[in-house]
Amino acid sequence: MILIKIDALTTTELQYIAQQEGMENWESLERDELIEALEDLYDEQEFEDRPDRDSKVNRNRFCNSLTDFRGKDDIQLELPGVEELPAVYAETSIHLLLRDPYWAYAFWSISPIDRSRIEEEGGIKDLLLRVSMRRSAADDEFFDISVGFDDTDWNINLPEMGCEYSVSLCKMDHEGGLEELCESKTVRTPKCYWTDHLDQLREEPALFKLYFSSLVTKGGIIVDNPTVQEIAASLSSVARS
Amino acid sequence: MAKNRLSLILHAHLPFVRHIEYPRFLEEDWLYESLSETYLPMLRMLRRLRSEGYCFRLTFSMSPTLCAMLADPALQERFIKYLELHKDLGEKEMERCSKEQLECMPLAKMYYDLTLKNLSDFCDLYHNNVLEGFRDLEDSGHIDLITTAATHAYLPLYCDYPTAIKAQVEVAVQSHIRHFKKSPKGFWLPECGYFPGLEEYLRKQEIDWFQVSAHSMLVASEPVRMGDYAPVRCPDGVAAFPRDYHLTSLVWSNTEGYPCDGNYREFYRDIGYDLPMEYVRPYIHEPEVRVFTGYKYWAITGPTNEKRLYRPELAAGKVQEHADNFLYRIRMKNSALDRSLRDGAPFYTLGFDAELFGHWWFEGIDWLEAVIRRASDADDLFLTTPSDYLATFPELQTVQPGYSSWGQGGYSSVWLDGSNAWIYRHIHKAIERMEELAVRFPEQQSLKQRFLNQASREVLLSMASDWPFILHNKTSVGYADKRLRDHLRNFNLVYENMCKNAVNTEWLVKAEKRDNIFPDMDYNIFNPSYNGGQE
Repeated sequence: MILIKIDALTTTELQYIAQQEGMENWESLERDELIEALEDLYDEQEFEDRPDRDSKVNRNRFCNSLTDFRGKDDIQLELPGVEELPAVYAETSIHLLLRDPYWAYAFWSISPIDRSRIEEEGGIKDLLLRVSMRRSAADDEFFDISVGFDDTDWNINLPEMGCEYSVSLCKMDHEGGLEELCESKTVRTPKCYWTDHLDQLREEPALFKLYFSSLVTKGGIIVDNPTVQEIAASLSSVARS
Repeated sequence: MAKNRLSLILHAHLPFVRHIEYPRFLEEDWLYESLSETYLPMLRMLRRLRSEGYCFRLTFSMSPTLCAMLADPALQERFIKYLELHKDLGEKEMERCSKEQLECMPLAKMYYDLTLKNLSDFCDLYHNNVLEGFRDLEDSGHIDLITTAATHAYLPLYCDYPTAIKAQVEVAVQSHIRHFKKSPKGFWLPECGYFPGLEEYLRKQEIDWFQVSAHSMLVASEPVRMGDYAPVRCPDGVAAFPRDYHLTSLVWSNTEGYPCDGNYREFYRDIGYDLPMEYVRPYIHEPEVRVFTGYKYWAITGPTNEKRLYRPELAAGKVQEHADNFLYRIRMKNSALDRSLRDGAPFYTLGFDAELFGHWWFEGIDWLEAVIRRASDADDLFLTTPSDYLATFPELQTVQPGYSSWGQGGYSSVWLDGSNAWIYRHIHKAIERMEELAVRFPEQQSLKQRFLNQASREVLLSMASDWPFILHNKTSVGYADKRLRDHLRNFNLVYENMCKNAVNTEWLVKAEKRDNIFPDMDYNIFNPSYNGGQE
C-alpha cells in the first residue's frame, strides 16, 4: 500500500497507527524509526496481498516531498490533494429524479469510449430522450424529447399521475436507426385518491372539512401544494357553476 | 370534558459547521446564536416550569449534526469566547447608551443580563454541554428526545440508494444513543420529506413513529378516515403523524403568524449593522463583515424603516394575548370538527424548527411558556407526545401517506431545482462509489479503515439538505457551494487513492480533525449486503 505524506503525521499519530497495526515495540521507536517501520510494514503487506508483484521496491512511491502544514493557520478550506469535481463522469448512464408528480429531472453522461464509437460510426442525426410511461402492465406508451449532443440534463414534464416512468438516452443515426445508449431506473408518480373522487368531497361537507380544515391558514391561504390546490380549484369551480 | 390532545415537536437542527482552523468563522455563528437565543433560554424556561410543578410533555428532535457540535469541546470553548465577547459588547453598549441613547439603556442591560445568564448556565450548570440539560428533562419525563437523519439528508431524492438511506438512519440512531444513552422512538423526517416505503428503514431501527407534512394525507392513494387529526399506521407498522398546517401557521407564517405583531422585537435591526464600523469592528467578522450581535432595540412596528423603540412590557402583553388566542383557536377547531370526525377526538401534531423560538421570534419562548402554563391548568387541553399517544391508542388506520414534504410546492422542488440539481450527479456517484469501495474492501483495519470511514463521513456530509436549500434560497450560497464541493472532492480523493491502493495520510489526518463527526462511523454500512454483524 502506498502511504502518501506519512511524514506529515505527528509522532503521536504514527504511534497510534503502529499500535493499531500490532507493532510490539512502537513505544520505544523514535519518529524516523517509526516511519521506516511503517513503510516496511506496508511494503510487506503489499507483497502479501500481491505475491506475484515484482520484488523491486520503488521507494519513490512514498511521496515524501512534504510541506509542513501542521501547526500553522491554514486558511484554505481545501484539504491537501483534492481535485476539482469533473463536469461529468466517464460512463454512459442516465438518472431520473422525481421532483413532483408533474416533473422529473434527468441527468446523463456519455463515456469517451461511446463518444468515439459514435463518431467513428458516422456520428448521429439526433440524440433523444425516450420517456416511457406505464399505466399498467398492458398499457404503456412513450414520447421522445430531442436533446443536443452536449446537453447533460433535462427537466421532463410527466403527463399523468399514478404512472411509472423511465427514460432512455438514444441516438438516431443518419439512416433513422435508433440505438439505446442507457436507461434510467423507474420512478413512480404518486396517485392521489381524491383527484378521482371529487364528487365524494363535494357531496359530503363533513369530509371536505375534515381534510381542508387543517390545510388552510386562518387567513384562507391553502397549503402550498399543486395537488391540493388543484382539488380545491376543481371543487370551487363546480360550486360556482 | 373531551380533551384536546396537542403534540408540539420542536426540531433542533443546524448543519455541521466547524472550522477551528480559523480564529473565528462566520457560519459558526449559526450555532452560537442558536445556543444563546434558543437552546439555553429554552432549557431555562422548561426547568423553571418543571421546578414549579407544571405537567407537560414536549418532543425535541435533536439532529446528529447539532449534537456533534454541542458536544464538541473546541466549539464549546469557542462559544464561551463568543459569550465573553458579547458580554464586553454589553458593557460597552450600556456605557454608550447612558451617554447617547438613554432610551435604549434598559434594553442593553436586558441583553447584557441574558448573556451573563447564558454564560453561567453554559459553564456552571451544563459544564459546557447543553445536551446534559435536554437529557435531564427527558429523564424527568418532561420531554421526549428523538432523532433525524444523520446529516439531515432530504431522503426522497435518495430513494434509489437504499444503503445511503440506511446509513442516514442507522448512523443517526447510533449518534442518538451515544449522546442520550437511549434509543430514539421517533424520527423527524428532514424537511418532512417522505416517499412511500421510507418507513421500512425506520422500522429496522425500531423507530415507532415519524412526522409528515399536512397534505400527505389528502394526497395519499387511499382515503384517510381522520384526515390530519390522528396518526396512521404504515403497512409495516410504523406510525405517521401528520402536521396540522392550520394550527402551525398561527405561529409559523411570515404574513399571518403571531411573530409578525408590530410590538414584537425586530430581528433584522441590530447594532451590528446600525452602529459605525469603528464601534462594532471588534464584535463582527473580518474583514469588516457586519453580523448580528444580538443587541436589537427596535420593534417590528410595521412595513417601514422607521421603527419604534422595542418595549418588552408591550411585547409581554402580546405574548399572553397570543397564547390565549392559540388555545382559543384549538378549542374552536375542536368544536367545528365535532361532526366531521367519526373516530374519536382529534390529535393535533404541530412541528416547528426549534430555532424559531427565541432566535427568530425573540418572545417565542415566553409564548411557549404561556401556552404550557395555560394547557397545564386547563381541563380540556392536554400537551402530550406521539409516543404517549401510541401507547394509549395503538389501534390506528393502516394507510400509507402520500409522497410529500413541507417545502415550497409540497414535494421535492426546493431541493431539486435549477440552482441545485447539479449536486445529485456528484452525490449519487459518490454513493455508488462508496458502495463499490465497501464491497471491494470489506472489513479493513487501521489506516485503510480510517480512510474509508472518513470517506463515508464525507458522503454523508455532502447529503445534508441544508446545502441544496441554501443554494435554492440564495443565502450563504458561496459557503454551501464550497462545502458541497469539498465533501465530494474529499470523497473522490479517497476513491482514487483506494483504487491505486494508496492512503493519503496527510489528507486523512486533516480530514479526521476537521470533519470529526460520527466517531463510531463504520464504512461497511455502505456495503449493500452488510447487516452490522447481525444474523
